[in-house]
Amino acid sequence: MPNRILRRSLCLAAILAAAPAAHAEVSPLDLVGPIADYKIYVSEQLQALADGTRAFTEAIKAGDLERAQALYAPTRLPYEASEPMAELFSDLDSAIDSRADDHEQAEKDPGFTGFHRLEYGLFAQQSTEGLAPYADKLMNDVLDLQKRVEGLTFPPEKVVGGAAALMEEVAATKVSGEEDRYSHTDLWDFQGNVDGARKIVELLRPLIAKEDEAFARKVDDNFDTVEAILAKYRKDDGFLTYDHVSDSDRRKLVGPVNTLAEDLSTLRGKLGLN
Amino acid sequence: MSDKDISQGGCPFSPARRRLLAGAGAGAAGGLLAAGAAQARQAAGGDAQQVTDAPVGDARVRSSYPFHGKHQQGILTPRPEAGMVAAFDVLADDRAGLERLFRTLTERIAFLTQGGPVPRLDPRLPPPDSGILGPDVSPDGLTVTVSVGDSLFDERYGLAPLKPARLSRMTGFPNDALDASLCHGDLLLQFCAHTPDTNIHALRDIVKNLPDLLALRWKQEGSVPVLAAQPGRPHESARNFLGFRDGTANPDANDARLMDELVWVQPGGGEPAWTAGGSYQAVRIIRNFVERWDRTPLQEQEAIIGRRKDTGAPMDGREEFDEPSYQGDDEGKVTPLDAHIRLANPRTAGSQANLILRRPFNYSNGVTKSGQLEMGLLFICYQADLERGFITVQKRLDGEPLEEYIKPIGGGYFFVLPGARDRQDYLGRPLLRAAAALKT
Repeated sequence: MPNRILRRSLCLAAILAAAPAAHAEVSPLDLVGPIADYKIYVSEQLQALADGTRAFTEAIKAGDLERAQALYAPTRLPYEASEPMAELFSDLDSAIDSRADDHEQAEKDPGFTGFHRLEYGLFAQQSTEGLAPYADKLMNDVLDLQKRVEGLTFPPEKVVGGAAALMEEVAATKVSGEEDRYSHTDLWDFQGNVDGARKIVELLRPLIAKEDEAFARKVDDNFDTVEAILAKYRKDDGFLTYDHVSDSDRRKLVGPVNTLAEDLSTLRGKLGLN
Repeated sequence: MSDKDISQGGCPFSPARRRLLAGAGAGAAGGLLAAGAAQARQAAGGDAQQVTDAPVGDARVRSSYPFHGKHQQGILTPRPEAGMVAAFDVLADDRAGLERLFRTLTERIAFLTQGGPVPRLDPRLPPPDSGILGPDVSPDGLTVTVSVGDSLFDERYGLAPLKPARLSRMTGFPNDALDASLCHGDLLLQFCAHTPDTNIHALRDIVKNLPDLLALRWKQEGSVPVLAAQPGRPHESARNFLGFRDGTANPDANDARLMDELVWVQPGGGEPAWTAGGSYQAVRIIRNFVERWDRTPLQEQEAIIGRRKDTGAPMDGREEFDEPSYQGDDEGKVTPLDAHIRLANPRTAGSQANLILRRPFNYSNGVTKSGQLEMGLLFICYQADLERGFITVQKRLDGEPLEEYIKPIGGGYFFVLPGARDRQDYLGRPLLRAAAALKT
């Protein structure tokens, strides 16, 4: 027994000598609670996604263009919020959420399915015609996703890393307004990504603050700045289209978004995750 | 879309087991490969080059230019093989943010241009450096030149009263087809080094260190063709993508008095005091229609430029640096009156004041929608007075026959900040000190 302790501390000493440690030992056990809570959050999001997708796809199949258009953005939001887990299943992520330029033949590509294929029909072509097979496939894929996530043990590094991954999404595709190019409902997705990232940070906040209180406050401030700008473009239950966002606000979003992506990229290390 | 690939439910991660498997696999395979390569090298006599060996440069890889001084580097510094300009929006909320921006920029540039080892962090954190130059950064003759645009002097920071007198927002000339996404900026960085990777490394370092203060607007990379050494023969100017030598008539950068007159803003005059030691910079992305140019008869090309293509000599000379004489050629029989070099620099007593210091790079970007090559000149020039310099010269060139083959599509006007004098100083300090002294 003493031998083993000795060996462990020697081992630890060797690690500490090699490079400065980023964190003051967060025990893996500390992460159990936040991760369980996060799983509940994701389950709720995916239930909302499944319910929303049912109404959305039924409207399409009923040929109700206006209703389908209105349901498009709110239906997607919970997907965007839970994307770190959803995109662990790359086959489904591609089927549900790929964009035309992920495919060689763009809009004409037979592999182009999911939300953005329906968005293309509903907003660019202004029609529900021929969309029923895509609607059915989306519904099935969403239910499949829900089932797979239910059976998934959430990997801690994917949960903690998810906050940064969501902000990388925002930095890469949301600020430019290229995600929802036919409907211009990017602000919903933007909010979804920010919600999802903030949820992860919130659940981990006590642990983060224990490591680095100033860092936790800086992250909060940047989230607040982003949310305040998003809030300016709220309308009724949702958002104005992205073309309403002024150049100066687009520019104001870039700093806090990139800083969140940069800062949150250190989160795994700060919490001692490999 | 992501890199993760788990196509079925259940827990895909049994981290310990995965690490074990990956470790064993990588270890075994890596060992074999290493042994294979080592054997091959031995068999080949140890010194034989392998296809993926890093090309070995000369001593210039380790060379550096001093960072501190009255003026910034990258203007009178000999132009190296690789250049890049990157334009940014400044995101600072206030002057305090602006000061943090200039201080951080100064600190990063001081490190990047002098080189040295990069810090090592806990491997569970993202590394502080991109690593593309390895753990010990070679300076590679890097210079980073910081300049500011007209828009930095808008209402945001209360700097309007301190705007350099000749700084304006670039407006289109008659032949321009400016693309808004390639124009202007609050701040411009010019990177120059012997290899493009050194410039990219520096840009990535700055982007990573200033996410809350800088947002990239546009960037353009360029190159200068390298010549074989020809001992005993005079230097030649580098050729542009039209195949002509470019820069022959530049004023002598080694003549300090001339540079004070033509390039550096002097104390006094109509300029705010903080600008002394700085310089005006005009940047233009000028597309060349090279297919069409290559289908133009040689004598027509030479008439359009006003020089011989092979030697770079003027039409009435034998060698590149022979001075053209337009006296006695009033009708343009030797050098056409609308030849590029004659319009740009008519060599009259009056046109001496319009001389600019050109320091351009060639750029090549890909293919246009029509299947033509998208390439041309990343034109950069410096002068003590933007209006007397670039703007006057360009106005004389408006309507020149060369316009049929070129199309300016981007760029902007900027003011190069005076140099950081020593370790206590930082770029932009004279401007911010002057701002602090303003009555509000």
